[in-house]
Amino acid sequence: MIVKRLWLTDFRNHLTTEIGLDHKVTLIIGLNGHGKTNFVEGLALLSGARSFRGAKVDALVASGKSSAYIRAEVEQNGRSSLVELELAIGGQSRAQVNKQRVKTFRDLGDTVRVVVFSPDDLDLIKGSPLIRRSLLDDALASISSQFRAVRTDYDRILRQRNNLLKQARGRLTSDLEASLVIWNQQLVKVADEIGDQRSRFVSHIEPVVADFYRRVAGTDDEVSLTLDASWLEEGLAKSLLSVQDEEIRRGVTLVGPHRDDLVVLLDQLHSRTHASQGEQRSLALALRLSIHAYVAQVSGDNPLVLLDDVFSELDEGRARRLVECLPDAQIVLTSATGTVPQGVQPGLTLEIFEGEVNGI
Amino acid sequence: MYDGPVQDVIDELGRLPGIGPKSAQRIAFHLLKLPKTEAQRLAAAIIEVKERIGFCDRCCNISENELCVTCTDPQRQTGALCVVEEPKDVIALEKAGFRGTYHVLQGALNPMEGIGPEQLRIRELLARIPEEEVDELILCTNPNIEGEATAMYLARQMQPLGLKVTRIASGLPVGGDLEYADELTLGRALEGRRELQP
Ligand SMILES: [Zn+2]
Repeated sequence: MIVKRLWLTDFRNHLTTEIGLDHKVTLIIGLNGHGKTNFVEGLALLSGARSFRGAKVDALVASGKSSAYIRAEVEQNGRSSLVELELAIGGQSRAQVNKQRVKTFRDLGDTVRVVVFSPDDLDLIKGSPLIRRSLLDDALASISSQFRAVRTDYDRILRQRNNLLKQARGRLTSDLEASLVIWNQQLVKVADEIGDQRSRFVSHIEPVVADFYRRVAGTDDEVSLTLDASWLEEGLAKSLLSVQDEEIRRGVTLVGPHRDDLVVLLDQLHSRTHASQGEQRSLALALRLSIHAYVAQVSGDNPLVLLDDVFSELDEGRARRLVECLPDAQIVLTSATGTVPQGVQPGLTLEIFEGEVNGI
Repeated sequence: MYDGPVQDVIDELGRLPGIGPKSAQRIAFHLLKLPKTEAQRLAAAIIEVKERIGFCDRCCNISENELCVTCTDPQRQTGALCVVEEPKDVIALEKAGFRGTYHVLQGALNPMEGIGPEQLRIRELLARIPEEEVDELILCTNPNIEGEATAMYLARQMQPLGLKVTRIASGLPVGGDLEYADELTLGRALEGRRELQP
């Protein structure tokens, strides 16, 4: 998939940006605060994912405006599509592909696939389990609309079940039990699907991550990935029963996919606590590279690669080795200084100044 | 905060489903600008509907009399009883060609909105089944999370009664309302119903 042209209107500090992109490598140069990451964020939003900076819609709209617009001309297998997003303050955001409205933003993922590398990726290793769960779920969501549906259902059933537990006020009555049986049943059905897909995904990418890690880090350290999901073994139905009393006391669901974690071991030690910052960075890069490879393989599409100021955080060796690992896909990278590692050959270089993008 | 009556209207409107504080304010100011006769017509319509329309004693659908039109229709096949969430679902099923009887739950299980089995017309349903010689209970709650949970709950409650409990097929748009399914789709979903194992 190639993004040929991008329009940003009233999006963050981009009031009227319109620019064609190179089908191979586009380099964007600009000082911090002038809108490089905003540009990358706009591109990433086309895939229907949430902002990789965790921003809410209101923060995406230029100050004083009520809506931001992101539009792109996208080419896939020789077919051109027009992808449009309207992000409106206070809800009512909309997205369409070729003027046909899509039901949820996530459905844009069938048209635009993107893998973002950002300096914040260190949190993939250092951060909370939530970040690693999202990594898995976003990857699975980008290739399967069925997973998207199941994932959305799970959140809703979980919220319903938590409300029910809260209303119990610590007491298990026969009425509560009759309702709980039903919500358990609903939760178990979708949880099984999520657990199954996540664990298959983790075992699938494990050797790929290990391989990319060795290539990026330039060592032969061993990497292993496991899905930490205590409930998977005996099944969620049984696990729920064994914590039922405590759940009723605390008014919240204590086991299930919403508490899973992806454990990344480096030479059998927890990378979250035992790896050096350099090792953690290499692991994060290996995870992103693996996800790109996986999505490309399963979807038959080649996702756009966005590298937001990634090289400035890497030593020369790692930067050079990362370049060697990059897939043969469309790449957009940003840099404050304009110096890029050997091997990166931009077909187009753009400069951003105060939200304005110009070719140089 | 506005002065007395204006704020009263905003507060009342804000209590309606799907109307947030902003919408409530917008509608209130629209009402203020309305010619007096139009505002009075709206007020009269609300009072009229509340005074004349209630719920059918048997099926809990909206009705002008104690029993609704369907429940007093001698042509109805009483063997098959269709359980739905809202009165609008009855209209959708009628259009799809269903000619049995109905029971309107007036909602679906939804703990987030404080709706449990007690808030639905389930007791009324349980009372009807032995009285009306129902052979088959067709669960036509919406094909979304809450509708599915409600169907499963009912199937469980019906188990001791030993009657056939079926669920309409899931050819309907997922997460959708019965209301949005066209007659053909709904008709097919009804035909393709399957026995539900609680
Ligand atoms: Zn009736």
